[in-house]
Amino acid sequence: MSHQAEHLSAAGHILLDRRKFLSHSATALGSIALTNLLGGDGLLAAENHGPIIDPARPYAPRSPHFPGKAKNVIVIFCAGAVSQLETWDYKPELIKWDGKPLPGGPAVTFQGPAGNLARPQYGFRQHGQTGKWVSDMIPHLAGLTDDIAFVHSLTSKSNTHGPAENFLSTGFVLDGFPSLGSWVTYALGSENQNLPSYVSIPDPRGVPQNGANNWGPGFLPAAFQGTTMSSSKPVRHLTAGVSDNADRAARSLLQKMNARHLEAHPGDSKLAARIASYELAARMQLSVPEINDLSTEPAHVLKDYGADDTRNPDKAAFAKNCILARRLVEKGVRFVQLFNGAYASGGKLNWDGHSDLKAQYDIHSQILDQPAAALIRDLKQRGLLQDTLVVWCTEFGRMPFFQKGAKGRDHNPDGFTCWMTGAGVKPGVSHGQTDELGQKAVADIHPLYHFNATILHLLGLDFEKLSFEHNGVQRRLTNVEGKVIPELLA
Amino acid sequence: MRLSYFFSVPLATVIAAAAPVDFVREVRPIFEQHCYECHGDKKQKGGLRLDVKSAALKGGDSHGPDITPGKAKQSHLLQVVTSGDEDEVMPPKGTRLNATQVATLTAWIDQGAVWPDGVDAVKLKDTRDHWSFKPLRTSPDGSTQSAATSIDGFIDAKLAEKGLRRSPPADAATWLRRATFDLTGLPPTPEEVAAFVQKPDRAAAIDRLLASPRYGERWGQHWLDVVRYADTHGFEVNTERPNAWPYRDYVIRAFNQDTPYDRFIKEQIVGDALGQDTATGFLVTASVLLPGQIGRDEASKRLARQDALDEIVNNVGQTFLGLSVGCARCHDHKFDPISAKDYYAMQALVAGVEYDDREIRTPAAEAARARLKSVKAAIVSVDRQLAQLVPLAGAGAVRPMVNARENVERFKPLRTKKLRFTIRETNRLEPCVDEIEAFGADGENVARAATVTVSGERVTADTHEQRFVNDGNYGNARSWMSDETGKGWVILDFRQERDIDRVVWGRDRQGKFTDRLATSYVIEIADPAGNWQTVASSDDRAKFAPGGASATGFTTNGLGKEEAAQARGLLADKNKLLAEQRALDAEQKAFAGVFRSPDKIRLLNRGDPEQPKEEVAPALLSVLGDKQLPADAPEQARRQALAGWIADARNPLTARVMVNRVWQGHFGGGLVQTPSDFGNNGMKPSHPELLDWLAQEFIRAGWSVKHLHRLIMLSETYRQSSDIDAASAQLDADTRLLWRFPSRRLDAETIRDAMLAVSGKLNLQMYGRGFDLFDKRGGLSGFKPVEVSSPENHRRMIYAHKVRREPEAVFGAFDCPDAGQSTAVRTASTTPIQALNLFNSPFTLQRSDDFAERVRTEAGADPAAQVRRAYQLALSRDPTAEEMTEARQAVSTHGVTVLCRALFNSSEFLFQP
Repeated sequence: MSHQAEHLSAAGHILLDRRKFLSHSATALGSIALTNLLGGDGLLAAENHGPIIDPARPYAPRSPHFPGKAKNVIVIFCAGAVSQLETWDYKPELIKWDGKPLPGGPAVTFQGPAGNLARPQYGFRQHGQTGKWVSDMIPHLAGLTDDIAFVHSLTSKSNTHGPAENFLSTGFVLDGFPSLGSWVTYALGSENQNLPSYVSIPDPRGVPQNGANNWGPGFLPAAFQGTTMSSSKPVRHLTAGVSDNADRAARSLLQKMNARHLEAHPGDSKLAARIASYELAARMQLSVPEINDLSTEPAHVLKDYGADDTRNPDKAAFAKNCILARRLVEKGVRFVQLFNGAYASGGKLNWDGHSDLKAQYDIHSQILDQPAAALIRDLKQRGLLQDTLVVWCTEFGRMPFFQKGAKGRDHNPDGFTCWMTGAGVKPGVSHGQTDELGQKAVADIHPLYHFNATILHLLGLDFEKLSFEHNGVQRRLTNVEGKVIPELLA
Repeated sequence: MRLSYFFSVPLATVIAAAAPVDFVREVRPIFEQHCYECHGDKKQKGGLRLDVKSAALKGGDSHGPDITPGKAKQSHLLQVVTSGDEDEVMPPKGTRLNATQVATLTAWIDQGAVWPDGVDAVKLKDTRDHWSFKPLRTSPDGSTQSAATSIDGFIDAKLAEKGLRRSPPADAATWLRRATFDLTGLPPTPEEVAAFVQKPDRAAAIDRLLASPRYGERWGQHWLDVVRYADTHGFEVNTERPNAWPYRDYVIRAFNQDTPYDRFIKEQIVGDALGQDTATGFLVTASVLLPGQIGRDEASKRLARQDALDEIVNNVGQTFLGLSVGCARCHDHKFDPISAKDYYAMQALVAGVEYDDREIRTPAAEAARARLKSVKAAIVSVDRQLAQLVPLAGAGAVRPMVNARENVERFKPLRTKKLRFTIRETNRLEPCVDEIEAFGADGENVARAATVTVSGERVTADTHEQRFVNDGNYGNARSWMSDETGKGWVILDFRQERDIDRVVWGRDRQGKFTDRLATSYVIEIADPAGNWQTVASSDDRAKFAPGGASATGFTTNGLGKEEAAQARGLLADKNKLLAEQRALDAEQKAFAGVFRSPDKIRLLNRGDPEQPKEEVAPALLSVLGDKQLPADAPEQARRQALAGWIADARNPLTARVMVNRVWQGHFGGGLVQTPSDFGNNGMKPSHPELLDWLAQEFIRAGWSVKHLHRLIMLSETYRQSSDIDAASAQLDADTRLLWRFPSRRLDAETIRDAMLAVSGKLNLQMYGRGFDLFDKRGGLSGFKPVEVSSPENHRRMIYAHKVRREPEAVFGAFDCPDAGQSTAVRTASTTPIQALNLFNSPFTLQRSDDFAERVRTEAGADPAAQVRRAYQLALSRDPTAEEMTEARQAVSTHGVTVLCRALFNSSEFLFQP
């Protein structure tokens, strides 16, 4: 039932129907046989459809559509909308216009009346071989610009955090669509069967504005939802807290019951899958505490990340989350989301700098900068960056003018910056631009669809092929839009 | 990055004047070479295809028509093939058109873009020529077969075609377990199993199950999945939607009463005209941005309104018609005969619907409203009488110690504009106050309308904010917290002079928190000169002692015997009145759509509210008939028309779609496996004749859903064993032709409910406000699961307060919908997280303990008897000898709890047989 369905041959229809069956309820054996069949005559590559999931091994690694440069992804998700003007999008012209009204500018923006233009609240200087101008707010990250590909001309479909975070994470402004990480793990499974394939690490100060929508499976199978854990909060229900003996006795009884039940119902792959799920869970019980145990990290690593910063517990906690992200990727976990910024709080807990941007960003940048930069350096030094794509993103940008009567900037979906580095990414690129005041993207404009399509591309996934039928529509991460941004590719 | 144009116009003009251009010989080869890769048979980027005359002349989504016959210069096609803009030029990759080709195209268009008929290699499928848009096939006449054998007849015929045969019947106990899960979402009791095995009267069993109130709870859940029901508003703020549940109750009642389906449709679309206000909750089940959450700029408001209307159109289209109408929001539907105009015509039918609470106007609700008035007055009066028993502040007597719940400060009546509450000390940390109230002689709380200023605040969004100190809501989750340890102040500015004689305040009226309590404070009012005058303080209260914080509100300490008795009587009266008030309140409001004069609806280019085109009048989808209303049709008349069109027996989709959903509820998959897409892109029915026969039968029986259940469940097809036959599986591995009963994993709600039922703890209380799965009922963040066991959360899961997008801590992993988008079929995935949750969660451990307790009570101390009872309760059967040996050993050593925990996790328990 792809969007091409009407053009399919009768044989094609049958294969598609059977494929749907396979993804939900195949016998394990049947799925292997049919995979070969489909792959063998080339249909797998030709048709527009999703992966074949073995219900007994939903996280089993699966091949991409074409060889991808990246195997894993870490997304550093800065909730609240980071101002492009105080970070990556240098606008010297804005300094000249400081304090003046914007001629022809909007009278009212998201939160209310607009005030006067305001200069970038931090100094900027050039960095690295490329001479990239970066704000003094983030000196550590600024040191990495030679490895980064920036897109300065992104746009969003909404200027409201909830719908806009939906749009960034799922490609739709409405609630209920699958998140990027769900799509990726649905397509590719994971290299490690003893850990969740998709881990979401909330900011130590709280979950981001759109909460679980950012790692939700939408209508994809629940197997592909992000599992939340952090350096301080491990996976829920890892152990029961009853005596070991009782635990073992219950487990042993269960194993016998389930084995016998399967024996009595030969050929029922769903029963085999249940047994497998308990085995996987048992292995997870061992590997999750292990991955969460940072005591094996040497002191110099903790120091590099800032995890030893006793004066700034939020920074130290975020740094530990960054180390956890590296450890997960090291173990082959496919997709890690690392949140920086929590829920709506008048900009106190995230990047939503409406009222007093400078004062609030002074705090947030301290938490983000050193740990995130250390993570990327660490990945590079360990050779992990060759296989790992690191994405830094935020749901939209901010206005070049202050809000009336305030020292902060309002929401701006018309031109903002996100970036990526690592596997398959062309280093030292600054692509696209906003106008001279940084308000609107004017060259190489890319709705977030393109950014997401590029992420999929780097993983070897065709954003037009990776799809799932839901209520009559073959849904994709990028809706009916999208294109890969070639300028970002190595 | 605009470059200079490549081609000059004069060259084109020269050729235009020459001989007529031949489409097949000259133009089509250009299209083939440069365009068809993206705009042909395989792909239609931007909605444009150039290989079919009708499609090509219509043009793409954004610029159509792309070819304007006779006007090459104005044709978008020409503009893009000659464009110097790298982002615009076509084709985007590969060889561009050369000058001759451009000239040929220019001439062809200028000459009128002559495209002879019948030369196209492909013919577009007529999307209207589709099975589901055709009338129901009437059943073969003269049939004397009984209803039940008809289903089997259709099934057997298809099986025979493939050389398959139905499986033998399942045994009686298995059938009953299957049927009981199916109709009630619960397992049968061992007694029900025993009785049925004794006398396997299937018709009687079905009647018993259909008559059970549990039936509506089960089938209501299927419906709520489709309409994505939840008790929060969704999106970022995810605020509580406190009056959503009356719609949930309506659905459960409707199923239990077997409300005829055509009536059920009408009530949900236009129940305000049918005495069923709550039913219209259907229209507004989606996530929505509340007024304060939408941007203040006009574009934001327009987009939010469009999104809200879109969700209604989607809901109506998917749920009743099985059509993805929403696809036509941005462009004509790619596969179905639904144009963008059709879409906006449907929007116009619901363009007067707002997402909001509405007053229920049934006679019962009106009566409740009248009664509520007098109850409220009675509460005010009781409060005043109680207040008279509170000692006056500063009158010399020692007043009771401060407590965390509620403190009354009574003083002589005073007139003032401002009141200040200053905290000088707390029992620990920064002070927190859930509410400050100020009353005058008339019992009105004048603080509600006051403007608040505070010394400072420690914000936890949605929980601790200064605005919550006088918002009328009690409890920690709606309170103000100071940002200084041990101190802080609040000023209430009434804006005009008010008479007050009483201030009431608390730390947490719900009694959960006793820290952060103001143990030393002073309350002052501003005199006409603006000077603060003390009216009450902690100075004449008994000295605060740790532990005193948890005392409860009004105290009779210090009262004389007679006064104390009077106070106790008044308190009892008050509690009764409060309970009645809560009950009456519950009948007043439902989140069920508010209706107003409809917005003017315009067709929007690419769905963009900033690109409005012509106005569109309300109308039925054109594929279903030529029915239109005047552009100025009144609001309710629009929905009435919509409901009438849908609930019309002649509508080819309505009955088919519902019959298919019911079938799916029984077999796990529908006869059409895409239950919300009966369009061209959906799957074809596996048994088209059966689908139509059932639809006819459904309508004939007065749209009775219960009639359908009986028909289906009495069939031999439904009765088959679920065992897998290897040879049959080779031919039809996914059991679409039903050569066996397809067993499947129970869904999230059923597992939870079944665990409660088996452990003997299921609370069958129906209806009303949902119980809590989390520590809060909505909000931005930090939903902590409720892990304490209580009768309230032992209710069936359909009565849980459903927080959108927040998966329930244990059962969310079992593919429980997040209520974002419609769930027409639940996936049944298997994951290690499910295993961790079901094996280790406090919920499972508590249920295992309860189950063990029940087994010990019912079976006594003998391990063998315990094992037998546990198997009967959980699996509806006795253990085999082998199972008995194994389990008895474990039970003897570790107690029966380990067996209970294993049974809850066993595949046999988790699958419908």
